[in-house]
Amino acid sequence: MSHVNAVSFTILVALFVVVALTGFAAARWRRTESLLHLNEWGLGGRGFGTFVSWFLLGGDLYTAYTFIAVPALIYGVGAAGFFAVPYTVIVFPIVFVFAPRLWSVSRVHNYVTPADFVRGRYGSRGLALAVACTGILATMPYIALQLVGIQAVLTVMGVGGTTNSFLRDLPLLIAFVVLAAYTYMSGLRAPALTAFIKDLLIYVTVIVAVIYIPTRLGGWGHIFTAAGKHLATTNPKTGKPFGGLITPPAGEWAYATLALGSALALFMYPHAVTGVLAAKRRDVIRRNMALLPAYSLMLGLVALLGYMALAAPAVTRAVKAGGGNAQLSVPLLFEHIFPSWFAGIGYSAIVIGALVPAAIMSIAAANLFTRNIYKEFFKPDASPAHETRVARFVSLIVKGGALIFALTLSKTFSINLQLLGGIWILQTFPAIVAGLYTRWFHRWALLLGWAAAMAYGTIQAYRVPIPGQANSHFGGSTAPVLGHIVYIAIAAFIINLVIAVVLTLVFRAFRLPAGADETQPGHYTADPETGPPAPAPATAGVPTT
Amino acid sequence: MVQPDPPRKRTVTWIAITVLLLASLVGMLWVPFYARETPKLGDFPFFYWYQLIWVPIVAVLSWLAYLLIGRGRPAAPGTAATAATAHTSEGSGEEK
Repeated sequence: MSHVNAVSFTILVALFVVVALTGFAAARWRRTESLLHLNEWGLGGRGFGTFVSWFLLGGDLYTAYTFIAVPALIYGVGAAGFFAVPYTVIVFPIVFVFAPRLWSVSRVHNYVTPADFVRGRYGSRGLALAVACTGILATMPYIALQLVGIQAVLTVMGVGGTTNSFLRDLPLLIAFVVLAAYTYMSGLRAPALTAFIKDLLIYVTVIVAVIYIPTRLGGWGHIFTAAGKHLATTNPKTGKPFGGLITPPAGEWAYATLALGSALALFMYPHAVTGVLAAKRRDVIRRNMALLPAYSLMLGLVALLGYMALAAPAVTRAVKAGGGNAQLSVPLLFEHIFPSWFAGIGYSAIVIGALVPAAIMSIAAANLFTRNIYKEFFKPDASPAHETRVARFVSLIVKGGALIFALTLSKTFSINLQLLGGIWILQTFPAIVAGLYTRWFHRWALLLGWAAAMAYGTIQAYRVPIPGQANSHFGGSTAPVLGHIVYIAIAAFIINLVIAVVLTLVFRAFRLPAGADETQPGHYTADPETGPPAPAPATAGVPTT
Repeated sequence: MVQPDPPRKRTVTWIAITVLLLASLVGMLWVPFYARETPKLGDFPFFYWYQLIWVPIVAVLSWLAYLLIGRGRPAAPGTAATAATAHTSEGSGEEK
């Protein structure tokens, strides 16, 4: 790991430059009006069809989480990490049901963020503020996960000396500044366009990896056997086996709740909502929910790279030498198995696969701050251009916050960064998703349910120690509840729902003001592009035939 | 211009969609069912191939649900043109 491989490094730099130039050039792509409008900067003009949306949502959802965090967990604990597969299987049916309603109502009322919707639906600035703050907070550890992924690649490549901490982090900072600059310039068009390059690299890498690596390691049978042997050995830190090839009965609750909690949480993230709202038509969303599982298959195969790494003795030795950092396992596998030019492509896939979603996430968080905090509470008369300038600036701040998460939280398993974000963001689910169907819930009941669940979730997560380190915090995302180990997000979510239901009954009994609702039932099924205006379909029909 | 009775058809459609989508939730969240090693598929333990095979299954189920909704969608006035354009755009989407 000490010397830099010139071939891999050159390929990584070259591809990085291509992505950066594409990102800057994206400002000119499909431009309709001034870029100084949040519809343009923050939602790419709301004009993406099935094809671009597929890449954008894929760019959103398949990140360093897929390529570094999940394989690292599989490498470290085995089957328990495979929950990411059921998670990405059930997420699309869930979203299939409610996302079109969110798209329609947002298109009718020009909502840019989930908090905009909550504000309009419940007439509650407080609840909207809660949703906005949760979104920004939860996005930061998710971006941090992307940075950890980039760092893992750079470490394996040996870029930056270990003597000086500034020099060591310099390549990461350069990547980070370039990312921030092109996001600032081009808004959502940059990640939408660079997502093409990202996906091309990723698909090539994954297909080659799952076909070629098993042939070098003696086939899948040997990979599973070798990985199983490794996982059965005793972890010196905990005194128990590392894990196993099959989830034990004691781990089944954790497995199911992690999958369910992650799936329910995913489309509450502001960046996922951004991806949905940027679609051109209502049916684009549903069609994509049927097409996006192609990425899930890839996630499942990438997860198994963790076992391939366990089956390659050179990799397990190198991970031990690198301080036992499981995040290094996939980049190390590439280094040891692939010729250096293809390792360079694999590294680029991971780095660019982390940069693209980081850009979308920071844009979404910036939209939230600008629309629901800055404009709402500080400058109600801000012009669209002023709004966009604030959003651009905030996108830089959010990335700074992410850097703090990346540098301070435990990196034993970087997946915990995403799971921590999930604990928080899931608590906005009742306000948003229930609100798409019913006004039964009282706004203050939702707010109090949210507050209690946020407090409970944060305290529970704080109390989880890092394995083998007493008095440490935020070391995991599962905790025992009523005799079962479960994902904290789900426990908090149930508390949230119960409080919201009970207090709604109380508040309704006391006839507390429910707040104004600016939406109407028809808004949730509206499809403005192809929709009701009678002459539109006829004229639209002419050029297509 | 004659459209089949929409409310009843819509209810049936939604029941079908709910069943399609609930199947994936049950199949994936009932962990004790698949937390075992056999039967193996090739070198893959049951635990792994069972979960991976759900990915194409859910894609097909979602596509069926999408088609059902597309047909159950209440048509706007001037339906012939709308239906025709909707159909052609769907077709081209599938080819891509």
